[in-house]
Amino acid sequence: MSGVPVDPYVVPALDGVAYGLLVFVAAAGLVLCFGVAGILNLAHGTLFAIGGYTAAALLDGGWGSLALALVVGVGAATAAGALVALLLTRVGAAGHLNQALLTFGVALAGGSLLVAAFGPDDPPVRVPAALDGSVVVAGHRYAAYRLVFIVLAAVLAGLLHLAVRRTRAGMLVRAAVDDAEMVATLGVSPAVVRVGVLAAAGALAGAAGVLGAPIIGPGPDTADAVLLLSLVVVVLGGLGSMTGTLLAALAVGQIQTLGVALAPSAAPFLLFAAMAVVLAVRARGLATARRAT
Amino acid sequence: MFVTLPRRSRARTAALLALVLLAASACADDTSTAGSGGTVKIGLLASLSGTYQSVGKDIRDGFQLYLSAHDGKLGGRTVELVVADEGNGAATAVPAATKLLKQDRVVALTGIVGGGSVAAVQPLLTETKVPFVGSNGRPELKDVSRVWHTSYLSDEPGEAIAAHVRADVKGSVYAIGPDYQGGWDELRGFTEAYAAAGGKLANPDGKTTFTPFPATTNFTPYFARIKASGADAVYTFYAGGAAVDFVKQYAQSEIKDVPLYAAGFLTEGGVLDAQGDAARDIYSVLNYSPDLDNAENRAFVAAWKAGHDGSPTTYAMASYDAAAVLDRAIAAAGDDATAEKINAAIGQLGQIASPRGTWQFSPTTHAPVQKWYLRQVRQDGRALSNTVVGDLATVGG
Repeated sequence: MSGVPVDPYVVPALDGVAYGLLVFVAAAGLVLCFGVAGILNLAHGTLFAIGGYTAAALLDGGWGSLALALVVGVGAATAAGALVALLLTRVGAAGHLNQALLTFGVALAGGSLLVAAFGPDDPPVRVPAALDGSVVVAGHRYAAYRLVFIVLAAVLAGLLHLAVRRTRAGMLVRAAVDDAEMVATLGVSPAVVRVGVLAAAGALAGAAGVLGAPIIGPGPDTADAVLLLSLVVVVLGGLGSMTGTLLAALAVGQIQTLGVALAPSAAPFLLFAAMAVVLAVRARGLATARRAT
Repeated sequence: MFVTLPRRSRARTAALLALVLLAASACADDTSTAGSGGTVKIGLLASLSGTYQSVGKDIRDGFQLYLSAHDGKLGGRTVELVVADEGNGAATAVPAATKLLKQDRVVALTGIVGGGSVAAVQPLLTETKVPFVGSNGRPELKDVSRVWHTSYLSDEPGEAIAAHVRADVKGSVYAIGPDYQGGWDELRGFTEAYAAAGGKLANPDGKTTFTPFPATTNFTPYFARIKASGADAVYTFYAGGAAVDFVKQYAQSEIKDVPLYAAGFLTEGGVLDAQGDAARDIYSVLNYSPDLDNAENRAFVAAWKAGHDGSPTTYAMASYDAAAVLDRAIAAAGDDATAEKINAAIGQLGQIASPRGTWQFSPTTHAPVQKWYLRQVRQDGRALSNTVVGDLATVGG
């Protein structure tokens, strides 16, 4: 429309924020597990997929169904997270390789179960009718649901920050990372903390799966895609810093949208090129100064 | 020693027993392949698991539909259909095809979803001299002497619709598709024929934009580029999950009012249900639509709907036709229907009546010379469906 050169990039930039926040909510659970509690949960993408499939099964275009899907999806993913934690009790202390093997097996089995239950096709996801359209933002058409999602995800991110920083549960988790034995002498079992962390991570993944289903729809490949993006974000974010994770997720969102719009021929490797550059320059990720925040 | 001795003798007994059994089964095999019993063994290989299982199941069901409509007989002979799972591609297709061709010793093979699987299975066909009547994937092949397809070549949909798009769209067209062999072929078919008709692409460098496959799930950045290019229409090819993402995001994007033309797979089968209203009004080109008005199609659709929810797809139709081809070829091959005779008979079939309309094999490519249809996604009763709105070019050979 106007001749301003930034004009074609307004929508990709906005979309990058939506995408980045979705990746953040999805990856936050993995950060809790890996960065904060030292558990490598490769079934994390499957927990997201549980939320996504729940959304596809329950959403019928009304607001009530969205609330129901959120409750059921978060509940199911939380339970699945707790189940992973129980499976991990024997190998939990045996190092990351054993954890990776076990949770990867859980991811494979879970993925097959989801396909068996919901079919091999990507099921349709119906967002509330009021949001199933587009709105004009600064002269550009943009999907209404994604705009609302930006707000929802920002609220979730804020709540998560408060929970980790300000609540007793958040403090216990952070304390268990710093010195598990000391926490145990205070009368809190590290095993209980582990179950709690994995359940909370499951809840986050479930919420991301339900709310993000219209953006990254559920399907046989969803679990892998989300796990890969989350791992990239966790590594970029500096393994354990929530602030770093947020920055990394927003950066990944912009790379995946604005980056592709600016340099489409480089699209296949933009993300991993950026990751390689960040790791080469700052081996511990984007946020290195602040640990476990 | 005492412990090993009886074991060794037991092994010898077992080996002897195995030999006897093998000889017995070989004898049994000889009698069954001679075909005097009136039965004929056909192998069907299709993806019954994995990414393409919805296509694979349509192929299996289309073939079985023809069989059950003809009392389980092809060419007057009772058919023993051996079904095997192609899985996700060549790695699983080859062992399954080996079993069908060497162990079950089928006289003809049909099905196969993936082009890569067909290419990998072809050496086995050459070795066993068994004809293959494929109903979907068709790769680039040097030797088609035993390979026949009832589907199409990947560049034909684009070739068939290009002249119509050129005449219909006043201005330039933006071409976009997935970055793999199938996507290159589909888009090349369109861009070459469109350029030959005097059309000009809206893409800034004059070349098709290819998106990473299957990694691309968010098309918004590409839509922003299409908007910036000032295109008057878009031509694309996507299938499966990518087709759902593309169509849903297109409908809510800045270019939602730009007409969308596509190879028919963008809105074919299960993906159309997933796309819902977002797919409304999309134009696509395909060799089949369930609402075609001819006697074969009415019978086919009615029989299909008796056992399935929804309408048949082009995949099911192509497999139904593969059964029809084998039906006539086995009848023409006579009493002693060997693989060689069936293969020769397929080449002599001439016109084949089909739910898609009459078609015939091209003598050079062994793929159909067939008419293509322009379809539009419209309301059909309670559901959306691909409705034929016109005939396009007859392409093939």
